[in-house]
Amino acid sequence: MISVFRKCWVSLTVVAVFMGFFGPAVPWAQDRVAEVRIADSKGDWGFPNPFRHYPRGPGYVRMSWVFDTLIWKDASGYIPALARSWRYEPAEKAFIFHIRDGVRWHDGKPFTAADVIFTIDYFKRHPYRWVPLDAVAGAEIIDTDRIMIRLERPYAPFLAYVAGTMPILPKHIWETVDDPVNFNDPKAYIGCGPYRFKDFNKAKGTYLYEAFDAYYQGPPKASRLIYVKVGKPLIALAAGKADLANIKPDMAETLREKGMVILKNARGWNKKLMINHRIEPFNDKRFRRALAHAIDRQEIIDKAHRGLGSPASFGLISPDHEYYNPETPDYRHDTTQARAILESLGYRKDASGFYSRAGNPLKIELMASNITVAGESVSDRDGEVLKRQLEAAGIRVDLVNLEQATTDGRIRNWQFQLAVSGHGGLLGDAMVLERMIEPGKSSGSVNSARYGANPELLELVRAQMSEMDPIKRKALVFRCQEIYAEEIPAISLYYPETMAAYNPEKGIGWYYTQGGIALGIPIPQNKMSLVK
Amino acid sequence: MIRLSKYRPSRQMGLVVTFCLAALAMVYLSYALPRLLPGDFVTAMYGSSQVTLSEAQEAELRAYYTNDRGFGSYVIQLACLDWGYSYAFLSPVSHLFLAALPWTLLLVGLAHLISLGVGFFAGVEVAWRRSGILERTMVSGMTLLEGVPEISTGVLLLLIFSLHLGWFPSAGAETAYADLSIWARLAGVAYHLVLPLATLVLAYLPGNFLLTRNSMVMVIKARYMTTARAKGLPPCRIRYAHGARNALLPLVTRFGLRLAFMITGALVVERIYAYPGLGTLLFNAIQARDLPVIQGVVLISSLMVLAVILALEFVYKIIDPRIDHARAF
Repeated sequence: MISVFRKCWVSLTVVAVFMGFFGPAVPWAQDRVAEVRIADSKGDWGFPNPFRHYPRGPGYVRMSWVFDTLIWKDASGYIPALARSWRYEPAEKAFIFHIRDGVRWHDGKPFTAADVIFTIDYFKRHPYRWVPLDAVAGAEIIDTDRIMIRLERPYAPFLAYVAGTMPILPKHIWETVDDPVNFNDPKAYIGCGPYRFKDFNKAKGTYLYEAFDAYYQGPPKASRLIYVKVGKPLIALAAGKADLANIKPDMAETLREKGMVILKNARGWNKKLMINHRIEPFNDKRFRRALAHAIDRQEIIDKAHRGLGSPASFGLISPDHEYYNPETPDYRHDTTQARAILESLGYRKDASGFYSRAGNPLKIELMASNITVAGESVSDRDGEVLKRQLEAAGIRVDLVNLEQATTDGRIRNWQFQLAVSGHGGLLGDAMVLERMIEPGKSSGSVNSARYGANPELLELVRAQMSEMDPIKRKALVFRCQEIYAEEIPAISLYYPETMAAYNPEKGIGWYYTQGGIALGIPIPQNKMSLVK
Repeated sequence: MIRLSKYRPSRQMGLVVTFCLAALAMVYLSYALPRLLPGDFVTAMYGSSQVTLSEAQEAELRAYYTNDRGFGSYVIQLACLDWGYSYAFLSPVSHLFLAALPWTLLLVGLAHLISLGVGFFAGVEVAWRRSGILERTMVSGMTLLEGVPEISTGVLLLLIFSLHLGWFPSAGAETAYADLSIWARLAGVAYHLVLPLATLVLAYLPGNFLLTRNSMVMVIKARYMTTARAKGLPPCRIRYAHGARNALLPLVTRFGLRLAFMITGALVVERIYAYPGLGTLLFNAIQARDLPVIQGVVLISSLMVLAVILALEFVYKIIDPRIDHARAF
């Protein structure tokens, strides 16, 4: 009996050793890490499905782990996702997508072209606010693996704002759902992305995802993906409690010394001085130019941000964007020039050294608040530096520090004179010009100048939205930047340095997506980092 | 001579009626005050987002989220124990509140108990050893500590014990999604509790110590203390059974009021340590202009203050029966 047992044991051992050396290699099993933890200071970004995530970048990113799009972006640009190839048919005013086969939903059912058609139809009936479909006329299946999405009119941002952002829904689940916002069944989180959604704890602000091994681009590199809420990302990273986090630039050196990899984003987010150009004296662009000359943007960067940033282009588009116009007019800091403009407008210095006109002192209210940058609330002293600079030019300033929601509400309702604000999207599609200039859009970003005083500018902004030829579109965007800088309805102040840090020991290489994730989200949590 | 028992039930009833009226006023304030906040949920949520809304979409959203049916409807809703539905979390306010409450009770409740116990005993002992070097050192140290805000203490403890020494975690109430047994999980919770608890204890302790010490100094001068010594009672009994008990009243008042304000009292510490308590819930709700959550938390915290003050009225009489005698005349 014992000898039989011994023989079996020896045989098993030999087989195990043999398989270890010569057995089939399973790369993903050897390379896969148990879990990756991403730190975030806010924690709560809503449930990760299209109708329940918060309308902010981090909310979309949490949803993107679960739901895939037709195309996606990585560090180099657009890549195939659920569509393996695509082209634009000008004669048809339509995009043709070749849909992948062999893709499965998380519940095992097959993904088909019908799901794409259904999604477009469903979002037209139940709008998903991230994906404007008013330019989409409809969609149809051409054959088993090809679909055609027809446009109402040529729509240049289609790839960025629709194909690269629209999450595809499983028809077999959502076709019976009439109230998508309140649909909170586990089936509401069935997608075909690399991760399955497992849990969101509202109180703790934590998310748990598990790898979907049947993902069509290969099994993910981490078995679990966890978002944790932290107050101090520096400490969480240094203590090994998080593997990736957004950081303040000051933390970079400390984390580098601890072996972290530091990522620096291109200039896609700007601090902006909003101007109420509907009221006097701000409705005069000469006065706005005087403000631009009075402001020393480099001083704001040096004094309020320890030199970590760079002055912004007055034309709105980032210098790192392929459509940036290097000939965009610039307003160098020149207090003398600012004063000369004010005096040409009839202002005269009074005994106190400040300007007044017809007995009315020139006094401006400047609103400042904490701003949310890439999902993190950041406080700074920009308002104080601006106040001092404007007062040096002879303009009295009343600085009012308010909470962000209050500031946003007042800007939205035009109950302000000057306000310090900020936004991203400057590296994404040039549609940002429409979002930040068009007066017709009453809502959306409170950072929009909503400027309609220059008809040529508006015409160009609208024209570039429907120009499908990239070269012609670039020329239109160039001209938009020139006119916008001449009109200066809002003053782009500077681009703060945006950084993140990650622990390289887990073998995951995080990066900032070219142009931002989807329609321009500037955080380095691209799902392709955990796939390829 | 007036019989006390004749007056006690009607007086207690009067107290309860008074507090009920105050509670109704709190219900109204919890309804009205959040509505005075500038901005609204739609602006807070969509204002700085990348979403572009048309006028019609915005109007639809605003109508949905500001569906105010009036104060009467709000009272009826509360009477049916319906605290409302969170705009941001899309879940009942009661669920959110009850999910966060245990963490606040654990952190703040424990901090109060520890600081009360340590402050009380330290205050009594130090007052008994008056004019000694121990008393002078402790009083100076505690006075200094009283002036240090929680935010400074919290950040300092984080830097030393979490960043440099790496002894304790920097955030959270427990390791998220760690597959642990119940005992390991409890140990994890305790481990995560150390730094935030230490921060709050260091914030509450000096006040308790100084109050006890000052009360005790007054009590020690009383004639009954001299009598107790003259009777040859053991010093420990004199200190605690005769002295400390009479010095307890101000501390009980402080403890009660602090406990009543526990919801917002730990907000700073919860933010520093990302602790998932009611302070964090309220802070996030205010930022998002999530009216139902703000209403619910403001109302509950107001009612807690009232309930504690009412309870203290009865507790005082147990601690010091002289209070009941004094009110009778």
